[in-house]
Amino acid sequence: MLRQDINELLTRTGPGTPMGELFRQYWMPACLAEELPEDGAPPIRLKLLSERLVAFRDSYGRYGLIDEFCAHRGASMWFGRNEEGGLRCPYHGWKYDTTGQCIEVPSEADNSSFAENVRLTSYPLVKIGDVLWTYMGDPAKQPPLPEFEFALTPAEHHYTSKRWQQSNWLQAFEGGIDSSHVTFLHSGGLKSDPLFKGAKGNQYNLNDKKPFFEVADSDGGLFVGARRNAEEGSYYWRITPWVMPSFTMVPPRGDHPIHGHFWIPIDDENCWAYSFDYHPMRPLTEAERQAMIDGHGVHSKNIPGTYRPEANMDNDYLMNREKQRTGEWYSGVEGIAIQDSSLQESMGPIVDRTKERLVPADSGIIKARQKLYRAAVGLRDKGVTPPGVDPAHHHVRSAAVVLPQKEAFLDAARDDVTVRPGMPISSV
Amino acid sequence: MAVETQTLSSCARAATAEEARYRIDRPIAPSRAGRVVALDPGAAEVLRRTAQQEWANARFYICEPAGSGAQDVVLRGIDGGPATLADELASASVVVMVATSDAGADCAYTLGKACWERGIQTAGLVVGDGTQAGTAASAAVAALRPHARVLLPSADEADVVDLLSALRV
Ligand code: FES
Ligand SMILES: [Fe+2]
Repeated sequence: MLRQDINELLTRTGPGTPMGELFRQYWMPACLAEELPEDGAPPIRLKLLSERLVAFRDSYGRYGLIDEFCAHRGASMWFGRNEEGGLRCPYHGWKYDTTGQCIEVPSEADNSSFAENVRLTSYPLVKIGDVLWTYMGDPAKQPPLPEFEFALTPAEHHYTSKRWQQSNWLQAFEGGIDSSHVTFLHSGGLKSDPLFKGAKGNQYNLNDKKPFFEVADSDGGLFVGARRNAEEGSYYWRITPWVMPSFTMVPPRGDHPIHGHFWIPIDDENCWAYSFDYHPMRPLTEAERQAMIDGHGVHSKNIPGTYRPEANMDNDYLMNREKQRTGEWYSGVEGIAIQDSSLQESMGPIVDRTKERLVPADSGIIKARQKLYRAAVGLRDKGVTPPGVDPAHHHVRSAAVVLPQKEAFLDAARDDVTVRPGMPISSV
Repeated sequence: MAVETQTLSSCARAATAEEARYRIDRPIAPSRAGRVVALDPGAAEVLRRTAQQEWANARFYICEPAGSGAQDVVLRGIDGGPATLADELASASVVVMVATSDAGADCAYTLGKACWERGIQTAGLVVGDGTQAGTAASAAVAALRPHARVLLPSADEADVVDLLSALRV
């Protein structure tokens, strides 16, 4: 269980909240680059950390993320006309550039300086990989750009998707470091999912359903190691890195692409689950890319033209009791992503953590909450820069390795969990 | 064909904040009889402070080698009262072991094994840095590893408190 006041602190991310300020120290995904596919594309509405925004790409290819509402009388800039060098409010014609600066107020005289003094709140928006990243904090403290490996590989090597999750970010993120649910909830996928099946490690997973856990600090967050028996004298370790505040990676399987997530608060009752796959050594195959588009692996099949999964709370996630009975889909819900979202959303928009009964196997979650709490309070009270802001902290990988029983996993696998450009991922 | 017993929109309604108000709200009984054991004098200091807080059922002990063989250990209450390993484990459902140095490595091994044999869930916390070979508590970590279901090799005092609270002991 968790104290109610700590639960409140960790789950509220609006402006001025301690956790909201913590999120505002980091670069984070604002949207996918595909949402603004070309210069002058229609603007999109976005809500991030409980702030309503509009993102657009102007006629010169510059990206902007600005206050959704026009400074004049508050009409939504989503209706805006994306014209030459700026977005024009269709109500009375005020026009803004990508920095939120008002560049034209048609009702004013031609030589008026009125527009110069009108500026909408704006945040930087930068394309790295498939993602447009933003930083919503104090401009004076803006850190260097993120250096997560998935976003830095060549375009043919990676694929990124996102889905809307109707729950608070924290319960979604907690699923990302909760290695003990995989053997149950996702057991069907180990045998059948085209992006998982066939790895040697899967057998260790299925043979030993009671893993041991080790939770070790890292510079940017944690490494959670889950170990199972392998051949005589050795253990099979699955190592999940977490980089604060909400980047996690799933341990790999065989030569399949490696994957992970970002969990980004929309508001306190909704979040974006970003899911990526990449292979550091080779382009994704046609079949792999198609499987990702079709919603296999960690991705979801979304309603066309939206980022809402086809299986969602309005249709009971297309629950199939027959597949549940046979175990093909352990929970009766299809696909890793929706297996997670269905249960995390079922907890309610913000789960009441005072009612939990945690077990030692939940130690990764316990430790992560503590680190988030400390970072948020440290920032609020002393202005301490939290872990994970420094791009050096982003250079982590998940790993799936067989190690001698005597070795400490971080001693033996330090290289495996570190990004080494040009080197394959460590995976069995 | 199975009979549809629920309306299609039941998840949509059941998962709202509105419906969360109807979650049964009864006091939750402590589900674990927790035994918290210091494996060395440094850890005993940590537990003396931790024991001051309010706990449902947790009891705190110090474990020491019995002197005879490496396999033998004695248990004392944190306040000095006598305790026997067999009795304390008989009524335990989770044992949390805390180490600060390698001094308690033998105790860790013996206690961990005793819990293992009895099917008692265990967690090991190494306060300080035991993450790397050669650091102060790396032998304690190695001794805890085979039997502790969960191991936190670089914990601090707050982890002890947070883990015990989360487990409701
Ligand atoms: S078994 Fe974990 S939430 Fe039910
Ligand atoms: Fe999951």
